[in-house]
Amino acid sequence: MNRRLLSMIVALVAVLVFFLLVVWIGGLINPNLKLDQTGLLRFAFVGLGLLIVFVVYLITRGSGAWDVGTRQVVYMAIGAALYAVLSYLFNGTVFLVPSVSQVALRPAIAIPMFFGYAFGPTVGLFTGAVGNMFGDALTGFGLSPQWSVGNGLIGMVAGMAALFADKKKGLNVVLIISVALAAIATVIYALNPGQSNLLYYNPPANVFGDQNISLFAGLSAVVGLVLAVIVRFVFGKNVDIAAAVTWSMLGNFIGIGFAAISDIWVNGYTPAVAIVGEFLPAAGPNLIFAAILVPILVVAYAAVQRRAGR
Amino acid sequence: MLVTWRYRERKSLIQSLDPRAWMIFYACFMASSLLFWDLRFLSVLLAIALMAIFTSRLTWRETYRAWLLIGSFVLFFTFLTFLTGRGGMEFYTREHLIARLLAPFTILRWRPTLDVTVERIFYALSQLARVFSLASMTILIPYSLNPAHYGITFRGLGLPDKIAYAMDLTMRFIPTFGRDFQLTLDAQRARGYEIEKIQGGLIAQVRKLAPLIVPVTIYAIIGSEDIIDAMDLRAFGVGPRTWLQQLHYRRRDYVLIAFGVALLATSVTLSLFGYGKFWVPEWALAWGASLR
Repeated sequence: MNRRLLSMIVALVAVLVFFLLVVWIGGLINPNLKLDQTGLLRFAFVGLGLLIVFVVYLITRGSGAWDVGTRQVVYMAIGAALYAVLSYLFNGTVFLVPSVSQVALRPAIAIPMFFGYAFGPTVGLFTGAVGNMFGDALTGFGLSPQWSVGNGLIGMVAGMAALFADKKKGLNVVLIISVALAAIATVIYALNPGQSNLLYYNPPANVFGDQNISLFAGLSAVVGLVLAVIVRFVFGKNVDIAAAVTWSMLGNFIGIGFAAISDIWVNGYTPAVAIVGEFLPAAGPNLIFAAILVPILVVAYAAVQRRAGR
Repeated sequence: MLVTWRYRERKSLIQSLDPRAWMIFYACFMASSLLFWDLRFLSVLLAIALMAIFTSRLTWRETYRAWLLIGSFVLFFTFLTFLTGRGGMEFYTREHLIARLLAPFTILRWRPTLDVTVERIFYALSQLARVFSLASMTILIPYSLNPAHYGITFRGLGLPDKIAYAMDLTMRFIPTFGRDFQLTLDAQRARGYEIEKIQGGLIAQVRKLAPLIVPVTIYAIIGSEDIIDAMDLRAFGVGPRTWLQQLHYRRRDYVLIAFGVALLATSVTLSLFGYGKFWVPEWALAWGASLR
């Protein structure tokens, strides 16, 4: 462990030296040099995301939820492979499932949420991050590192449910946080109702496909939240489902929020565009998938557990 | 039963290299391509990718399905970007119009308009170059990387034992789950379930996807019990893991790694100095201007 730590430190120092050299030599060649970091910001955000994960791990390490044994290794692999295959299949080329009002069907998101809830934060993190990576690789469109980290965060936060021995205690706190986040996002939408759905607005003419973000997509965060609250109280007796849905909800907000906010810097969006154009269309529908598909998976898995006697 | 990637032993450039070196190079290649939007730089990367493909001795018959699937997606997406002008807006604020095609009809008083501009053409070309080079390098991997070497490759790259093994398992499971999904789809179709005809509001649509997703997931989890038992019976995780194969670096691997790192370092430096942004050649702008 010491040797590995040493080699990591050496690698980091080498990278730092490299950057310093670039700045110094560049400054010699061109005294007015101003460095342009936009290209590297993606990786900076990946680093930030990993740092968040590491900090959370350090804080919650004692509870044993992060331990990786044989079961976790296999579940990680299954989760990542399932998420990759399902994202690939539902990316729009294999099935032409009709999409409703700018919301594309992405049911695969239920996988990191469920696996994180059922098997712990490490499994959730791996499923989301590696599954997203392989899913992007299979689709062929190229990898987006900060979205992989964002998906990993979804799985990790969903796994935080394992930290609370008493599930009901965690639930109300989560619900309050999620309500606050949904409210903020919707307020920003209400202030920018004319915000186009990530499209370039060409004043002299109507650009093909330029539509303002539809009301449904904009409010989908609230719709999803209402649905999750309903599920929670309908299944009030079954704490498992309620916990799964609420933790998945929170994970969804945090993960997608991280990726969308990182795009403020990486792609140069304004905060309003990032929230309304990226966060809401992605996070809102994900909530709906969470509220519907995750309970089904939890119930099915509970039946499997009963049968297998574990 | 497992379905495998279609790997075969071939005498090609890629397969003569240590898989760890190739993965390092792949990572550097990918990171470099994410830094550029300039078609000139992207063509260099594209040339490297094409060279890798043509020396890989993959036959068209073996790989055509992968190329078709990924190629169609890439072309579809690039075409869509071209049509809508999406995504390029942060790069150019003025467009040089070549042609404007107006549809002969209107939908709700809005006339579909296609603006063919110089910027959009070059943006589409840049995107095509970048995505295609990434996609081709990615397609190469399952065909040229020996599945028996997955685990030791990731371990050799410095990942801890268990994570390396998890990556190994993930790569092995992907084709199997693809097959399971197809089986489930066929079985459900035999029971009258039609995925292309899902109707209803969003919520109803999502509910109707459950008969496809839930069986595959639960089947995978049930099947995992056997795998977990098998691993436990072979004392997985008890001590540091060893592998049957051993990988050794040779000189060509060091050369490849050096090349990859140099490529990444150059790309990072160029990007820091502001090169590599979206570029439209002067002659194209002049041509566009002359057409109006």
